[in-house]
Amino acid sequence: MDRKKIIEDGLLERYLLGELPENLCSELEQLLQNDSSLKEMYSQMESDFEQLAMDNAIPPPSDVKTSLKEQINRMSKGEQQGDPKIRSMVTSKNYSKNFLVAASLAALLAVSSFWLYSRWQQAEASLKLVQQQTTSLQERVVILESSVEESENSFRKINNPNVIPLLLKGNEISPQSKAIAFVNHAEKEVILNPQGLSPLDQDHDYQMWADVDGEMINMGIIPKNNMLVALKYIDDAASINITIEPLGGSEHPTVERLISSVVL
Amino acid sequence: MATALTDIQLIDALRNGDKSALYQLYDRYSGALYGVIIRMCRDEALAKDLLQESFIKIWQKIASYDADKGKFYTWSYRITKNTTLNALRKSRNLIQNEDLSVYDNKSIEEPKPDYTQLNGAIKNLEPHHQKAIDLVYFQGLTHKEAHLEMAVPLGTFKSYIKQALKKIREGYGPDVVLLLIFMLQYG
Repeated sequence: MDRKKIIEDGLLERYLLGELPENLCSELEQLLQNDSSLKEMYSQMESDFEQLAMDNAIPPPSDVKTSLKEQINRMSKGEQQGDPKIRSMVTSKNYSKNFLVAASLAALLAVSSFWLYSRWQQAEASLKLVQQQTTSLQERVVILESSVEESENSFRKINNPNVIPLLLKGNEISPQSKAIAFVNHAEKEVILNPQGLSPLDQDHDYQMWADVDGEMINMGIIPKNNMLVALKYIDDAASINITIEPLGGSEHPTVERLISSVVL
Repeated sequence: MATALTDIQLIDALRNGDKSALYQLYDRYSGALYGVIIRMCRDEALAKDLLQESFIKIWQKIASYDADKGKFYTWSYRITKNTTLNALRKSRNLIQNEDLSVYDNKSIEEPKPDYTQLNGAIKNLEPHHQKAIDLVYFQGLTHKEAHLEMAVPLGTFKSYIKQALKKIREGYGPDVVLLLIFMLQYG
C-alpha cells in the first residue's frame, strides 16, 4: 500500500466510513501516523464530513435523551451487579421486545410448520402404502375366490352321484400312463384327470376320442399340466380312447399310437 | 482548537464514568447522527431507538476510542451506522422480504417529513455527485453497494466521490483548525 494508491483508490474515504477490512485498516493507520501530509488530508476529510453532517443534522425528539438517561442510570446500577449488556438488551424498549416476540413466534411457527409438514408427508406415505397393500390383497382375494370356485366346481362335478369314474390305463406304447375319466351321462359331461399320463415331447399332444359305431369322434385335445379337463361328451359312445397326435391334434386318430382305451 | 479540546475533555470525563459528559456529547452530536439514522431507516420510532442504542454503545465502548486515529464524530458515526445497518438487516430478515432491499423500501415508503432534503455544501454539487455522497454518507451504503445503486462502474463512482469531496472542500473553505495546525507545524 503506498500513498498514491491510497489516494487514487479512495481508501481514505472508505476508511473514514468504516468500510475497510481490518487488515487494511491497521496498515492505513500505520501510514497515517508516519505521513503527516496524508494525515492532514484525512483530517480535512473528516472535518468536511463532520461539517456536512452538521449541516444536515436533524434534532432528535427530546424524549430520546430522557430515555437515554434512564437507560444509562439503569445500566449503571446493573453494572454494579454485573452484566450490563443483557440489561441494555432487555431495556432497549418496545422495538427490541417486539422484535424478540416476533422472531420467537416466527421461529415457533417455522418449527411447528416443518413438524406438521413432515408428519403429513409420513402420513401420506403410510396411506399410499396401505392403499397399495389393500389393492394387492383385493387382487389376491379375487384370484383365490375364482380358484376356490373352480375347485368347488370341479369337485362338485366329479363328486356327483351320476358320475362314473373310469380308469384309463396305458398299453405297451405308454405303460406308465394312467388317467381317470369322470363320465356323467345324465348331464352329458366328461371330465378327465390327465395327471398320470406320461409326459410328451413338445411336438405331440394327447387327444381323446369316442368310439360311436366304429367311428372315432374327436372329444378334444388334452391340455398339458391341467388338474382336471372338461372334454366334449359324445352320445352313444361305446368306448373312450386316448391317442398321441402331432401338436395341435388331428382330425382322425393315429390308431397305431393309441395308448389307452376304456369301454363305457 | 477549543472545540476539539472540549471534546477530548468530555471523552476523558466519560472514561471516568461521568454521565453528564455523555449527555454533552449527545447535545453536540445527536442531531448529526440522528440525521444519518433517519435517512437510513426512514422510520422515526426506529430511528429514536437506534439513536439511543448508539449512544449506549458509545458509553460502553468509549475506552476503545483513540483520538489519534480520528475525530470523535467519525468514530461515533461508524458505531451509529453499524447499529442501524444491523437493525435494518434483522428487520429485513424477519419479514423475509427477499425481493425488496432495505433501500428499495425506502423509495416505496415515502416518509413524512421528507428527510431526503440535504443542506449545506452538498446542495451546490452536481446531481450525480450529490447522489454519490448521499448514498455513502447519509444512507450508509458501501462504495460497492452504492456504485451498483447508481449503475456506474466502481472506478467512476470513486471519482464521483473524490470530485464531490473536492467541491465540498472548496465550499467550506480552509479549515481554521487545520490551518492553525499547519502553521504551527510548518510555519
